[in-house]
Amino acid sequence: MSLKRIRLVMWKEFLQLRRDPLLLRAMFLMPILQLVFFGYVVAADVKNISIAVIDLDHSVASRQLEAEFASSDYFVITQHPATEAELQPLMDKGAVKAALVIPDGTSAALTRGEAAPIGVVVDGSESSSASIASGYAAQIVGEFNQRQIAASGMTIAAPGIDARIRVVFNPTLESINSMIPGLIAALLMISFGALMSQAVVKERESGTLEQMFVTPIKRNEYLIGKLTPYVVLAIAQVAVVAIIGMLWFKVPFYGSWWVVAVGLGLFLLTSVGLGLLISLVSHTRQQAQQTVMFLMIPQMVLSGFIFPVESMPAWIAPIANVIPLTHALVVLRGAFVKGSGFAALATPLWILAAFAVVIFGAAVVQMQRRLAE
Amino acid sequence: MTDSQPAVVARGLTRAFGPLTAVADVSLEIPEGGVFGLLGPDGAGKSTLIRMLATVLVPTSGDAEVFGESVTHRPGRVTPRIGYMSQKFAMYPDLTIAENINFFATLRGVGKADRRERSARLLEGMGLAEFAGRQAGRLSGGMKQKLMLASTLMHEPDLLLLDEPTTGVDPVSRREFWRILAGLQREGKTVLVATPYMDEAERCTSIAFMDEGVITQRGTPDQIKALVPGTLFELVSPEPRAALAAAGAVPGVASAHLYGDVVRVLLSGTDAAGVAHACANAGVAVDSLRPVAIDMEAAFAFLAEEGEAA
Repeated sequence: MSLKRIRLVMWKEFLQLRRDPLLLRAMFLMPILQLVFFGYVVAADVKNISIAVIDLDHSVASRQLEAEFASSDYFVITQHPATEAELQPLMDKGAVKAALVIPDGTSAALTRGEAAPIGVVVDGSESSSASIASGYAAQIVGEFNQRQIAASGMTIAAPGIDARIRVVFNPTLESINSMIPGLIAALLMISFGALMSQAVVKERESGTLEQMFVTPIKRNEYLIGKLTPYVVLAIAQVAVVAIIGMLWFKVPFYGSWWVVAVGLGLFLLTSVGLGLLISLVSHTRQQAQQTVMFLMIPQMVLSGFIFPVESMPAWIAPIANVIPLTHALVVLRGAFVKGSGFAALATPLWILAAFAVVIFGAAVVQMQRRLAE
Repeated sequence: MTDSQPAVVARGLTRAFGPLTAVADVSLEIPEGGVFGLLGPDGAGKSTLIRMLATVLVPTSGDAEVFGESVTHRPGRVTPRIGYMSQKFAMYPDLTIAENINFFATLRGVGKADRRERSARLLEGMGLAEFAGRQAGRLSGGMKQKLMLASTLMHEPDLLLLDEPTTGVDPVSRREFWRILAGLQREGKTVLVATPYMDEAERCTSIAFMDEGVITQRGTPDQIKALVPGTLFELVSPEPRAALAAAGAVPGVASAHLYGDVVRVLLSGTDAAGVAHACANAGVAVDSLRPVAIDMEAAFAFLAEEGEAA
């Protein structure tokens, strides 16, 4: 490996990027536009929210209330933790998005004709689903009360159950707070797909790739020299989006920058690998561009970036899981909004690592095979 | 290295692309020094052959040695001694002439002092010096080719592999390009050049005719021209197409072609009276009909037809 040759290729690549009119648009103008666009426009519908029920009352009334939740389209009861303490890790991992807590003595209070407070806990890190979930929960509780009143023949004034909704992590339910971290990952993927996919095919098309092989340069030298400028740009882009997001949209940051760095680093490898792979297998720039478009749109739609995965039909969920962006979103939103650490985000981080190894590895293997053609 | 060592020795060089064999079992020896011309119609396999010699394409079978080093086993020892110029313009269009030249030369390990001296000399010699700061994509066709040649010469290779270097270049630039090649030959370099232009073939010291992946003829331009039997006549007529049709049907005419506005008739004998007669019968006026020396154009047409007949 010759550092001199790597530096030379890097210098050449920077020189070209500087003269590329696409660069400014793809790397910085587009992200800022997207930031404004997604920052102000958010809408979603939510169904089948996974919910945990903590029944501390163990009464007929509590089971009835649980049944009401179970029979609604909005919630799927997936967990029954015994105590409230067990709820926190479930929420950290994102296993449940909401929880219904029925305290001990609810049934007794109801029979006494007193107000019985129950808890509805909602994960606010995905604010759109959170606000909708809390709305549904309130509605179900309201209906439950109505039926209780009708059954007991009590007057309208009877208090019944008093639902106390508490949103954790993102108390104000600002959708922007979860949108900006998501946007950082999504933009990284889009602008990288667009730029990286052109990187090698451009040289193949211009014939300079062939010229490169009559020089002593090694393939790994070429690869490192070629990729480094793009990685530097990616980091600059992430910084720009994050800074604008935090200063202009006042997005709070509760987590650790290390988590963000590791998550984004792994996601960057995946994105660079994918772009490189497309660039290597494509024969023309146009072909590469079309492939990128073809791959980007489903990723944007299915990853949970705009529409929560919960709102999708059940058979889509496995597809969402094989999209790297899905996991990058979990990591970034977790770190930004919930302040989750490495332990809570271990699963998505490992999945991202696996994607990075497989995709980047495939790109390196293809590099050996395809360049010679 | 001894003086008698050939620049290129190819043995059974073969390359297939799927079911298509682009180069089939080519064995070839090119002595050091001189301009070796590779002729043949489009798709004859000229580019494929050159790319294998340049180490950018791996042969399906067979091998070749460039100055005694195998292109398949030791490509790293071959590349410093060759300059390969692909058919397509292969410089960065968004980098300037100077940046392109410096990039490739530095990549090849040419030192800073040498780079400065050589690029100044080469660009000056090719009339590119005043455009050194211009982006390569904005150059004319002829200037692009000269830039590529200059870049190819920066590491002072002993063998130049030039794949149709003057295709799509205006006649003036073509002549200039060949003047540069003649200068290189005088310096003792070996030049292997593929070309579709017959007038260029005349300027080679030795040529090979390639068709359907095999080399069908080899020799000096004179030897190749001597392969054409009979006499070549040029017929000038105000109605060349009608004259062509009339002449083509005459017995004893091996072939008849339109060459610009002139009909070229290859006769097995030396008497063109039959052609004149046929034209008169068809009512086609003939301004002149005279024998001309067989040139490469005629030899090329003849050999290509032979190839089709075979």
